[in-house]
Amino acid sequence: MTIKGFHEGLVDKKFSAVEAIGGFYRTIHAKDKDIHAFLSLNKDSALQTAKVIDARIAKGEKLGILAGIPLAIKDNILISGEPATAASRILEKYSAAYDATVISKLREEGAIFLGKTNLDEFAMGSSTENSAYGPTKNPHDIIRVPGGSSGGSAAAVAADMALGALGSDTGGSIRQPAAFCGVVGLKPTYGAVSRYGLIAMASSLDQIGPFAKTVEDTEILFKAIVGKDELDATSHHTDYTNGRNKIKNLRVGIPKEYFAEGLDSEVGDEVQKVIAALKSAGIKFKSISLPHTRYALSVYYIIMPAEVSTNLARYDGIRYGERQSADNLFELYKKNKGVGFGAETKRRVILGTFVLSAGYYDAYYTKAQKVRTLISNDFDKVFGEVDMVIAPTTPTLPFKLGEKTKDPLQMYLSDIYTIPANLAGLPGVSIPVKGRDGKLPVGFQLIGKKWREADILSMGRFYESLD
Amino acid sequence: MDINVEYLAKLARVELSEEEKRRFSGELGKILDHFKELQELDTENVVPMAGGTELTNVFRKDEAKERFPELNNAATKAFPDTKDGLLKVPKVL
Repeated sequence: MTIKGFHEGLVDKKFSAVEAIGGFYRTIHAKDKDIHAFLSLNKDSALQTAKVIDARIAKGEKLGILAGIPLAIKDNILISGEPATAASRILEKYSAAYDATVISKLREEGAIFLGKTNLDEFAMGSSTENSAYGPTKNPHDIIRVPGGSSGGSAAAVAADMALGALGSDTGGSIRQPAAFCGVVGLKPTYGAVSRYGLIAMASSLDQIGPFAKTVEDTEILFKAIVGKDELDATSHHTDYTNGRNKIKNLRVGIPKEYFAEGLDSEVGDEVQKVIAALKSAGIKFKSISLPHTRYALSVYYIIMPAEVSTNLARYDGIRYGERQSADNLFELYKKNKGVGFGAETKRRVILGTFVLSAGYYDAYYTKAQKVRTLISNDFDKVFGEVDMVIAPTTPTLPFKLGEKTKDPLQMYLSDIYTIPANLAGLPGVSIPVKGRDGKLPVGFQLIGKKWREADILSMGRFYESLD
Repeated sequence: MDINVEYLAKLARVELSEEEKRRFSGELGKILDHFKELQELDTENVVPMAGGTELTNVFRKDEAKERFPELNNAATKAFPDTKDGLLKVPKVL
């Protein structure tokens, strides 16, 4: 079922919100033992909100499209009074002190939060295997990963345990799991959605975005959370629907670097089918080049850990979290992080500390920032000729649990096609390729101009509407 | 490339086990080797990119606002150790 379909059922009184929400919890109890998408559930407050929605329907009030809609929220986004572990031991007993701005906005719309979803610790990973609470499994094949880091949110939507979800995307953490789980996932333009109340990972890259079954539903959720927020100084006013372009006037670029060595042939063939289908429906394509693409992974794995090492310095056990006992402050800091952080978190903190340390700062960090400019300039150049870029979301099909955990570099390569949009601050949406019933899902990605979510979402809706 | 993981762990205030030190040293060496490809690029006249989007200055009147009266309570509840409602920390020296 879609958000739109659920809304119609609710206002037509085909079911009540309380019945429907109860039904979602039954699905969760039946399926989540195997999938493990959720870390915590908040059934009482969800049913409470459902009752309020039913009362409003009984009074004949006109409901907004998101009223009563059951959503799953990544556990690095704060809901007041609920756990927010970020899948880390260090926040195991933490209870959020306030609502993230995205949560307040959805609350005003009457949306219902079923629970908090699993992720790689502090959103660092591509498989959810870095969660301190155990991995999430891919609903299409439970011996495979759902992708990450927002794997729990993607799996919850794919397994019908929620109608939509929120995740965060720093290097592909919404789009990659969306592709692996066969759902739609949008990373908005950097600054389009407030990050207030998102547990920070890499602040120049992090962005909150929605998951849903269809592009239309994804857009409904995006509309509800977009906008400037005085509590996030990097957020920006955007009237993203302003001047909606005619679909047939939108030109799509095919970057040769995204279809080169390293791309699994099955994934490549499926994306070519999407291009062929859109072409025969009258969409104009153009071959383009983004020459600095191959450097994106190195740039990302310098800039992101640098920001991680700074952001995660706060988990020192002083103001929240569990405090280890130690003789002095220095030992206390060391012990808290030593016990509380998992292996990948420590690895990135150490790497980030290295690239920012005296003697290496310019050679690594400044160099990476400069190449980041070149990557961003590549996009600026092609956006003179095309309105968006099409590419595979991931280089491979969903891989098996444990397949890449031994070699961090292999795991990092799963984000090779999603990282450039984060570095350049651009919006990107992953959409499932149609006709994969019974097979593992494949996603294709549309990367748009800054603040032009409307273009990529329109193209996505157009693709979904084709026979 | 060899990196001194022990020194970095001290800078980052993270305790690592001997096994972690050994493992990270090898893995990080491999990752840093991968970064060498960036040296191919001439970036002498390139301006470093720090953030994701065009930022503008945000001005407001310098007036205190009581934004979250409920927040103090929730924040103090999260303290790992308290004395008379205040945050208690181990002695510095």
